[in-house]
Amino acid sequence: MNRRQLLQSLSGVAASAILTPELAQAAAQLKQGAAAGINWQVAFADVDADLPRAPMKRVHGRAPGDLAGSLYRNGPGKFHRPGGSVDHWFDGDGLMRAFRVSDGAATLEARFIDTHKRRVETAANAVIQPGFGTAGKAGAQVRNADDTNAANISVMSMGGELWALWEGGSPVAMDPKDLSTKGMKTLRDDLVHMPFLAHPRRDPGGDVWSLGLSGTQAIVWRVSADGALKSADMVSLPMASYVHDFTATKRHLILILQPWIQDRMVMPYSESFTWRPKLGSKVLVLDKDDLAKRRIYELPPFFAFHFGSAWEETDGTLRFDGCFTEDARFATTNGKAFMKGTYEPEPTPILTLVTLRPDGRATLDATGVAAEFPRVDGRRSGDTRRYTIHATATAPNSPLFHGVATYDWKAGKSDSYDFGASQLVEEAVFVARPGGSDELDGWLLAPSVNTRAKATELHVFDARRVAAGPLCTWRSDHVLPVSLHGVFVKA
Amino acid sequence: MKTLPLVLSLIVGMAVLTPAVRAAETSSLTVTFSGITAAKGVILFTVVNSEAAYGDKAPPSAQAMLPVTTKTVTKVITGLAPGRYAIKAFHDINGDGKMNANPFGIPTEPFAFSNNAVGNMGPAKWADASFEVKAGANTHSIVID
Repeated sequence: MNRRQLLQSLSGVAASAILTPELAQAAAQLKQGAAAGINWQVAFADVDADLPRAPMKRVHGRAPGDLAGSLYRNGPGKFHRPGGSVDHWFDGDGLMRAFRVSDGAATLEARFIDTHKRRVETAANAVIQPGFGTAGKAGAQVRNADDTNAANISVMSMGGELWALWEGGSPVAMDPKDLSTKGMKTLRDDLVHMPFLAHPRRDPGGDVWSLGLSGTQAIVWRVSADGALKSADMVSLPMASYVHDFTATKRHLILILQPWIQDRMVMPYSESFTWRPKLGSKVLVLDKDDLAKRRIYELPPFFAFHFGSAWEETDGTLRFDGCFTEDARFATTNGKAFMKGTYEPEPTPILTLVTLRPDGRATLDATGVAAEFPRVDGRRSGDTRRYTIHATATAPNSPLFHGVATYDWKAGKSDSYDFGASQLVEEAVFVARPGGSDELDGWLLAPSVNTRAKATELHVFDARRVAAGPLCTWRSDHVLPVSLHGVFVKA
Repeated sequence: MKTLPLVLSLIVGMAVLTPAVRAAETSSLTVTFSGITAAKGVILFTVVNSEAAYGDKAPPSAQAMLPVTTKTVTKVITGLAPGRYAIKAFHDINGDGKMNANPFGIPTEPFAFSNNAVGNMGPAKWADASFEVKAGANTHSIVID
C-alpha cells in the first residue's frame, strides 16, 4: 500500500486535508523556485486535449532554408485524473508531438496515443492501470502487458508509419500525417504482446534491432526498414537486470546488465527490482549473425538509462559511451517526486566511455561531463565516430537539463550552450545537412520548456557550433510537458 | 510472468473430465460468445459452481467444446442446478487443444470470463465473474476477442 492509498483508506479523512511531508516539501520548493523565478512544474503539467497543428512564432534568429521535415517526439502528457493520478512521471499517457519545419517556418501539433490504458482510465475517470512506478487500483484490467502499455517513451519511423514505443509491450502504429493511432503492432501472431524496447538500433540504411526483456530472458527482434519482422530469437542473460537501452556495432549487439535486479514480479514494475551493487555490472556481447556466439565482460556497479552507439576498432576493441550514475535512484525517487511538484537534487549522470578489450578486460573512463539523452549522427551508428550529442547543464533549483552539447572524443572537448535554469531542455536530435557527409555536418533540433514564457520552444543549432547558441528559436502558444525521445523524418 | 498460472489453470481446467452435476436437472444455460475476430477453431469453456472449482480445486459443473464458424456462437448447457456459476473460456484458434502463450508466458489466444470480468495480471476474480442461474432457462453473453 502506498502513502496515498493509506491516506485514502483512513475512514472519514480526505487525503487532501492532510499535509504530508511531501506536500510540505513541495510548498517549500515552490516558494524557493518562485524566489528564483522558476516554476519548473509547468514542464510536468497535464495536457487535457489534443493540440491541433498551429504555427510557432519565430522569436530568435533565422532557420536554415534547407532544413525541412518533421521532428516527432514522444513523452508522457497526462498524469492526473479526478479519481486518482499516476505516482511516477514515466506512467503518464503517451503524447505524440510533431514539430514540422519548412521554408524557415515551424508548426506544432500533439495528439494522445489511443491505448487500452488511456481508454480504460478515461472511462474510469481515474488512473487505475499499474505501470512502471504506479500501483494498480481497484478496477484495473490487465489481461496482458499491452493493457498497461502507455506508449510514452519514444518513436521511430518504420515503413511509412510512426511506431510509438514503450518498453514492456508492443509498438503502437500511428499515421505520421495526422498522428492518429492505427493500433498495436503484432510482428508475428505467436509473439503478440511481447515487449519491444524504446531504443531500437538501426543499421545505417538497413535493419532495425530491438530487444524485449523478462527476467533473464530476452527476445532479439530484427526488423527490416519496411517494418516486416526478419527474425525473433530468444537469448538467456547472465543477470535479470533492468534494461532500458542497449547498443550495437555493425557486427555486435551489446547488452549492458547493471545490478538493478528483478528478483520478483510485482506492480508497480519498478518495485520488482533491487539494487545489488555487489554483483557488479556485466556486458553481454552477441554476434548479430550468430546470437549463440557471446562474450561477457565484467565492470563495477553503475546505472545508466542510455547509451551512445558502439564501434569496433581494428584490433577488435569495442567502445561505447553512456550516461552513468552511481545507482538507480532517479527511477525510484525523482520520477515520483516530479509528480508531487518536488525534486531532490541528485548527482548528475556523467558521460562515460566503456572499453571492451579483446583480452577480456573492460574499463570505464568518466569524462566528468554532465550528460543525458546521448545521440549520434545516425550515419555513423555502429561505426567509428568522434562525437556524442547530449543534454547537459544542471541547476540546484530546477530539475533535468538546461543546455545542449556535443562531446568530441578525439579532442576531449565539449561544445555546449546553457540556456539557464529557467529552460528545461529536451533531447537534441541530429539532422544532416542535405548534400553533406562529414560527421556533425548539419543541425541539432532541441525543444525546451521555457518556464518563464510558459511555452514550448524549438531550437535549431549548427551542430558544429553549439556554443554560438541557437541559429533559430520558435515558440508555441502552448506549453507541453517535457518529452523523452524523438526522431526526425526528412520532408 | 504472473500470467503463466492463468494459462496453466485454464489448460488444466479443460483437461479434467468429470461428469456434469446431474442432481437437480432444473436449469439450462444458453451461453453466447460474440466479438470473435477469427471464425475458426473452437471455444473451450468450463462452467463452475464454486470459488474452489473456479480455482481448479474442484471439478467443473460442465464443460464444452464449441466449433467457431461464425462471429457469434452459442451453446446450451443443460442439467445445472440453480445457483451461482462462473464461466472460463478461451478461443483455441489454431485447434491444437492448448491455450497458446508467447515466449514470456502471455496468452496469445483470446480468453474471457463470465460477466466479461477482466482480471489484473491473472484470471478475473470469482466475485466479479460469478452470476446467478435460476430454475428454468437462463442466458449469458460473453465477448471474447
